Amino acid sequence: MQPLVFGKPGEKVRVLKITGTDKVRLHLAELGFVVDAVVTVVSEDRGNMIVEVKDTRIALGRDLALRIMI
Amino acid sequence: MSTSEKKIVIALAGNPNCGKTTLFNSLTGGTEYVGNWPGVTVEKKDGPFKKHDGVVIQDLPGIYSLSPYSKEEVVARNYLVEQSPDVILNIVDGTNLERNLYLTTQLMELGLPMVVAVNMADVLKKAGDVVDVKKLSQELHCPVVEISALKEEGSLAAAELALELAKSGKTGELPHVYKGSVEHAVAHIEESIEDKVPAHHLRWFAIKLFERDSVAQKRLSLPGDVMAHIEQHVADCEKELDDDAESIITNQRYAYIATVVGMAVKKKARKGNLTTSDKIDRVVTNRWLALPIFAAIIWIMYYVSVTTVGTWLTDWANDGLFGDGWFLAWTSGEKGGREAWDEASGAFAEAKARIAAFQEAYSEAAGAPAEAAEAEKGEDAPAFVVADEALAATITRTFRLEDEESGEVTNYPEALQDLMSEKGVDSFSREELLAFVAENGEAAGVKLAEGKDGPALETIPGESKEAESFPLAGFVADYGSYQEALEVEEPEPSDYGVWVPGIPVLAEKAFAAMGIPEDGIAHGIVFDAIIGGVGTVLGFVPQILIVFLFLAFLEDCGYMARIAFIMDRIFRRFGLSGKSFIPIMVGMGCGVPAIMATRTIEQERDRRMTIMLTTYLPCGAKAAIIAMFVPAFFGGSAWAATAMYFLGIAVIVFGGIALKKTRPFLGDPAPFVMELPAYHWPSLRGVLIHTWERTKAYMVKAGTLIFAASVVLWFLMSFNWRLSMVGLEESILHDIGVCFAWIFAPLGFGRWEGAVASVTALIAKEQATATLAMLAEPVAAVGGTLAHVRALFGEFSPAYPVLAALSFMIMNLFDPPCIVAIMTTFREIGGARWGWFAVLFQILVGYCLALVTYQLGKWVVYGASFGAGTAAAIVVVVLALFFIVRPAPKGAAK
Repeated sequence: MQPLVFGKPGEKVRVLKITGTDKVRLHLAELGFVVDAVVTVVSEDRGNMIVEVKDTRIALGRDLALRIMI
Repeated sequence: MSTSEKKIVIALAGNPNCGKTTLFNSLTGGTEYVGNWPGVTVEKKDGPFKKHDGVVIQDLPGIYSLSPYSKEEVVARNYLVEQSPDVILNIVDGTNLERNLYLTTQLMELGLPMVVAVNMADVLKKAGDVVDVKKLSQELHCPVVEISALKEEGSLAAAELALELAKSGKTGELPHVYKGSVEHAVAHIEESIEDKVPAHHLRWFAIKLFERDSVAQKRLSLPGDVMAHIEQHVADCEKELDDDAESIITNQRYAYIATVVGMAVKKKARKGNLTTSDKIDRVVTNRWLALPIFAAIIWIMYYVSVTTVGTWLTDWANDGLFGDGWFLAWTSGEKGGREAWDEASGAFAEAKARIAAFQEAYSEAAGAPAEAAEAEKGEDAPAFVVADEALAATITRTFRLEDEESGEVTNYPEALQDLMSEKGVDSFSREELLAFVAENGEAAGVKLAEGKDGPALETIPGESKEAESFPLAGFVADYGSYQEALEVEEPEPSDYGVWVPGIPVLAEKAFAAMGIPEDGIAHGIVFDAIIGGVGTVLGFVPQILIVFLFLAFLEDCGYMARIAFIMDRIFRRFGLSGKSFIPIMVGMGCGVPAIMATRTIEQERDRRMTIMLTTYLPCGAKAAIIAMFVPAFFGGSAWAATAMYFLGIAVIVFGGIALKKTRPFLGDPAPFVMELPAYHWPSLRGVLIHTWERTKAYMVKAGTLIFAASVVLWFLMSFNWRLSMVGLEESILHDIGVCFAWIFAPLGFGRWEGAVASVTALIAKEQATATLAMLAEPVAAVGGTLAHVRALFGEFSPAYPVLAALSFMIMNLFDPPCIVAIMTTFREIGGARWGWFAVLFQILVGYCLALVTYQLGKWVVYGASFGAGTAAAIVVVVLALFFIVRPAPKGAAK
């Protein structure tokens, strides 16, 4: 298990766990980041990422990408 | 609205950027703002259904779910739950069904009649995907239709279906979203609260209680034993599924959606992983290229609008439409054409300058202003009578020919001008000139020489320069050349091409025909207030139009959301999220929607800080000030214009750093997460509508607010306290301005005109240009508005007019934007105390920046002596640096 920030562009990964308990986590779930969701990494820049999840491109800050475990 | 009959309300709900507002516009015939980034609509908007009376369509802000995360989501949720609309028209993005249906599953639980409209049918078809709406409808237990809001296909049918449903009030059966123990627990909760909530909201509240939603718990205020009973069910469920309640619900929703989508959607296999959008993102969000690309886009935008195309159009508007007139076309032939016109008008300008110089010298020599000459019938009179011909014959005087646009002297050797200003000499008689050149010429690089047509000054050739010859006759006037000059006739533009007279010329003719006196009130209002004030503001319309055009394109194509992402890394360093950058970009159009756009920012303190800082990037109205000052004082350089935007960014950055270290703003910004819409080519119609809407607002403002302010200003500048008409120097405005002038003295424009212009600019920024144009007009006799303003700043600060102009521009670009923006700030920032804080902060920043510019510029660049002003400027710089670099106080509220 490793955080999403280590995903390489073009790689398809499966979400294993999302850590944290606050509102942000719920918001992530609403955007499609739930356990078992398949995430494609589009681009990555020093931890800030653009990923595809459930057919949508989503930009994520590093602090959020660190909470999504793959 | 008729009160007898209740209107039927159709609410449009859906994810951000799924096309709600596009649909809203096509149903209501409205022109609400649509953009290709999430969060364009931040407030609920109503509009009448254009096809059916008594039906209201409501556009809600886009939301991902009914659990509120940002302020706009709160607006939408409160509305849907508390004021139940008659029917929900749920728009879902067909290219992204899984995520969009998540909200749909929540909306269904509200128990309201609902229609699901699968949008972007055109995009789906193009991609070869098929959505089986019948199947979808069966699974969701509610009507589902396919539409393309952009192409207006199926939109009307969807709305009419919703209307029918609203009339029947029929709600669908709830789909089976939850499985096993969850459904069991929810059913139990429903049972225990049955009598406490409206029947149709039963499922909604049950789910919320299962999730331990605090808002719902508070709202129902259930007795302790019921709460304990519910809690028992939830806890059992959590234990069984080994997850927390919220996640259980979320996961089951997604699981349900996955089965529905699996049955109803057939996707064509994609070739490769990357779409075009992804490929563009690889480049524009690239680690190294992202910022240079962004800077280049901004530079191009201002290069085009402020210098090239914008300037051509604005010159036409100022000198043509609101000036003497313009050429529609040039005639060819011996006398026609542009070159011939330039030559003839140049010769006339030279003759005028020669006459003015000679007359001034003659009046000085004669010791009294000479008697004015009578005009012969049908001719323009020479301004005065030469009574003493012998005296006239002895008089010579140099004169300067200035280019109306740039203010550059065109008939003098540059080296001589520099030397003259160094020695403090303004003009010469011929003898003085010869003596001066003989004595100092060598050092300055000019010498006397024999030119083709008599004596001339010649520049001494240097390493890179060739010798140039300036015939003395070109800048020395004497009696003979004066008389010749009197003969030079003003060229008639219509001889050179198709000439369209400007509005002032036409108005002058109309007034003369009606016999309205030139010194009357009507004449004053029309020429000074309307043409001088409002006309100046309207003159900048072309440049602003181009800025708006670029902005509309950037917003519509989808780049906006990327900018937020790119900027996040930088903004985070000084405590703001990249989301703050969207309001800032919107602010380049107008500060008011920018302040509204801060609603997408989740955290209150980030929102407040963004409101305070967002208007520092110059808006359209401030662009009018830039468009006046840059050509007038900085040779129309694109760099000078762009520099104002980068200074704006710098103020935002350093202001952010300093504010973040004060107690109310301590703490990290909310983590960045944002949906990136796919890029698409904006429709021409869409871009033009946005551009037009904004430009129209600017023009309407010119016709209302600016018009009223200019008329009031005209009265104040034309009358004294006893209400009789007087000159500017005795006017009410002069007296008022004098009271404020001292405030601006350290900034280099401490004269009453500068004070009045700066204060009136708080009404609306472009009023600064209108006020300056009105007040500067009497100062200089010749040239257009730009030349007048140049002359005015020459009076403000004779030694450093350019610096005073820069300081004026900076003061007005960085103090509070305008009355409407100030009011919006007060409304959005949450409390009058915060409002005052924001406004005072902005005034302070604008004033201090101008002070530092003028005082340090004077001292460092121009080598002026060190004074109290310089000391004050240094104190300001040190204080500012202190606030920026000091460590954040301990005990930061996390």
